[in-house]
Amino acid sequence: MGYSMRKNKTYNKKKIVIVFFLCVLMLLGLMGRLVYLMVFRSDYYSEKADELHERERDIKAARGKILDANGTVLAANRTVCTISVIHSQIEEPEVVISMLAKELEMDEETVRERVEKRSSIERIRTNVDKETGDRIRSYGYAGVKVDEDFKRYYPYDELASKVLGFTGSDNQGIIGLEVKYEEVLKGIDGKILTTTDARGIELDGIGESRVEPVPGYDLKISLDANIQEYCQQAAEKAMEEKQADGVSILLMNPQNGEIYACVNVPEFDLNDPFTLNDGTDTSVLSEEELQDKRNQMWRNACINDTYEPGSTFKIITMSAGLEAGVVTPEDTFSCPGYKIVEDRRIHCHKRTGHGAETFVQGAQNSCNPVFIEVGLRLGVEAFCDYFRQFGLMDKTGIDLPGEASTIMHKEENIGQVELATMSFGQSFQITPIQLATTVSSLVNGGTRVTPHFGVEVLDEDGNVVEKLQYESREGVVSQETSQTVREILESVVSEGSGKNAYIEGYEIGGKTATSQTLPRSANRYISSFLGFAPAGDPVVLGICIINNPQGVYYGGTICAPVMRDIFSNVLPYLGIEKQEMPEEDA
Amino acid sequence: MKISEKILRHTRKADTTLVALVVLLMIAGLVLLYSTSAYNGRVKFNDPAYYFKKQLFAGILGFVGMYLISSMDYHRLLKYAPWLYLLSLGLSTAVLFVGSSINGSRRWLTIGPLSFQPSEFAKVAVILFLTWMVEKTKQKLSGWKFMVMVFVGVLPIVALVGSNNLSTAVIILGIAVILIFVTNPRYLPFVGVAGAGTVLVAVFLSLESYRLERLAIWRNPEAYEKGFQTIQGLYAIGSGGVFGKGIGSSLQKLGFVPEAQNDMIFSIICEETGLVGACLVILAFGLLIWRLMVTAVHAPDLAGTLIASGIMGHIAIQVILNIAVVTNTIPNTGITLPFISYGGTSVAFLLAEMGLALSVTRMRR
Repeated sequence: MGYSMRKNKTYNKKKIVIVFFLCVLMLLGLMGRLVYLMVFRSDYYSEKADELHERERDIKAARGKILDANGTVLAANRTVCTISVIHSQIEEPEVVISMLAKELEMDEETVRERVEKRSSIERIRTNVDKETGDRIRSYGYAGVKVDEDFKRYYPYDELASKVLGFTGSDNQGIIGLEVKYEEVLKGIDGKILTTTDARGIELDGIGESRVEPVPGYDLKISLDANIQEYCQQAAEKAMEEKQADGVSILLMNPQNGEIYACVNVPEFDLNDPFTLNDGTDTSVLSEEELQDKRNQMWRNACINDTYEPGSTFKIITMSAGLEAGVVTPEDTFSCPGYKIVEDRRIHCHKRTGHGAETFVQGAQNSCNPVFIEVGLRLGVEAFCDYFRQFGLMDKTGIDLPGEASTIMHKEENIGQVELATMSFGQSFQITPIQLATTVSSLVNGGTRVTPHFGVEVLDEDGNVVEKLQYESREGVVSQETSQTVREILESVVSEGSGKNAYIEGYEIGGKTATSQTLPRSANRYISSFLGFAPAGDPVVLGICIINNPQGVYYGGTICAPVMRDIFSNVLPYLGIEKQEMPEEDA
Repeated sequence: MKISEKILRHTRKADTTLVALVVLLMIAGLVLLYSTSAYNGRVKFNDPAYYFKKQLFAGILGFVGMYLISSMDYHRLLKYAPWLYLLSLGLSTAVLFVGSSINGSRRWLTIGPLSFQPSEFAKVAVILFLTWMVEKTKQKLSGWKFMVMVFVGVLPIVALVGSNNLSTAVIILGIAVILIFVTNPRYLPFVGVAGAGTVLVAVFLSLESYRLERLAIWRNPEAYEKGFQTIQGLYAIGSGGVFGKGIGSSLQKLGFVPEAQNDMIFSIICEETGLVGACLVILAFGLLIWRLMVTAVHAPDLAGTLIASGIMGHIAIQVILNIAVVTNTIPNTGITLPFISYGGTSVAFLLAEMGLALSVTRMRR
């Protein structure tokens, strides 16, 4: 075998060696490039790559509980489970489908559709109770995931709904104490850092780092579920009897501002806060209308709404007059049934007049001309000064969101007529909580307290983390004035227009009110009664407001009995015993 | 000039170092390919070994071909060089009309379950054809005329392949330049060729705006959406560090580097085996090129030298360009890493080429 071939020459070999060395040079250059990328730029690129691979998943922190004065749980968490399937991990689809259909009480077709769907993770059902979740987990089937989550739960459903408020889907407070104490209750969410592939699917076997969540603190409030429940029943009864639009009852401690009960019926179900409580057909409402109605339903009338207080405000006029010295209990007045102020004739509620009466009797009769006279004696400037001094121009600072401000004339616009109407509680608006707080300070010896619910912040084990402090301002009125006011108001209940609130064995102070809402032509009334007990040293002050009652609408007739009923139960509950009646003189 | 006739025989054993290097590269390549492609295989075909199995099949086919060709006399093969070249022209033409597309490029001829990439065959055909031209020409090898003739000779295949696979056309052109360089005794003209080539590339790049964009992406891949593949490759390389994350532990192969088992496989090698592993792979290629250089130098005749040089050039160009692209040393262009990147035709023909080189090592004057 032979070939006629060209010979390879030295230069051919030399050149191939040159090519080889050029290649080696370039390969060395590339190695240098690799050293640069993998040693000097390594940190930069690793970090960028990690950012790309890591997914952060929150672990929800358990929200703190809300406890009433006795430690009864008013708002808690329920563990709920989310059941999902990971398609690629399922080994026995048929078994999984029938198990899920059985345990979740879903029809098999729906379950099958989701189990057989080729997705990375498919949610079968959310808000499954923990028992069912545990049962499903105990089957131990591959590809079935049970994730636990917290859901806010209110054991008493409607109780104090407008005080407690509720949380949204992300467990954040939406209204009420849940909003106000968000920072206390919410805790700190934990984190799971997981590594995922480009499709976002978590990788097994690569260590995940965990930051444990810190549960929120518990909040202990002054509200007492028993009192609240009783007041709610009383309010519901009154609302039904009077076919009223709403009834609000507020009970507080006038000495320190702690609120025992705050009822605004109709309440709503905290475990189902988005469903309207009046059975309105929501299908005919636009989204906006529906939300308006919900906002209306969630309003706390004691705090978010203002009204003309009417005669209960005479307590303030009385205090100002006594404090300024323009009137004494023994001063005498004469009521012809009206009083002419400038060119206006302002009527007394008793058109025939009360005739001659002392100031105390004027208070018992709730006589308008008497209080107009006191107001006029004070004059605009002094009246407004007391208005401010009593704190009526400021918000009370209650620990609930959305407190409404006082709606008041500008001082320079107040003439004699306005002054006269203001003296018996008309032509301006305040909130019920403002009235209760102001009267508290007038009857407790002159200390303006901050009304509040929050008392203590507790940790998981019930240790006190923080005792909540509230501002108070002394010297709103003198002790003497305060005592006189208490005595006069006690006589209003024992002898005057508030006699329907009288309970034998208790000294109760109080004042009734009936005010017509605007426009006056609509003939809508707000009836109310404000009472406190024991009158000598009050520990409880309550206000009952019936909005738009049908039929008899006098506060003394319809509201005072409600408060009597409440006091007769709550006073013993609070440990205030009936006093022995003094022996009748033989 | 009278050329003395001497008898050439298969008297030596094939170069065992070369065989060992090829086997080593193939085994390492299969391991790295399996590691890289398992995720994509699972996601797309529900079979982590999908790419591995196909590559293994091509590898076995290639080794059989390598063995057969290594036991043949390469001169015999050289006789058929013009026909093989014409065949590659025919196949490259055919692919333009009846080829099937994968990932948007029409580069494959499909026959039953097998698919075949004519451009891979064209590389070997060009090496043999140019060697044949050198052998048969009456022209002086140092003359301009021959040089031009060679370029005219390879132009059809460069044009055909280049119409849908520019990178391979560049490789073919590169092989041709290396072969002419080795054949031609002069040096100066090649400096000219290099200069002319640079100018040509510059003009070529500036002709189309999308090529300029490619340049801009190259300089700052993070600023462009199209720099995605490049930047993902760099993330992979950078996160490898000195010792890597370990075989199988790459995260970037999990869909972040697109089609990681193809052109970008070297970035995953960097991530999993670190600077050390990457340099070992480069070293293995360096040794392979060295053995091919030795084969070329010790070849019994010019034909053997040129075949070995062509093969060496082929592998060197692909390795250098691939790593340069993956490390973003040059603008992005699709070139596979020999023996390691996924591609059946490529692996089979590379092994066949190795067989050709082994055949040269076995000849003794």
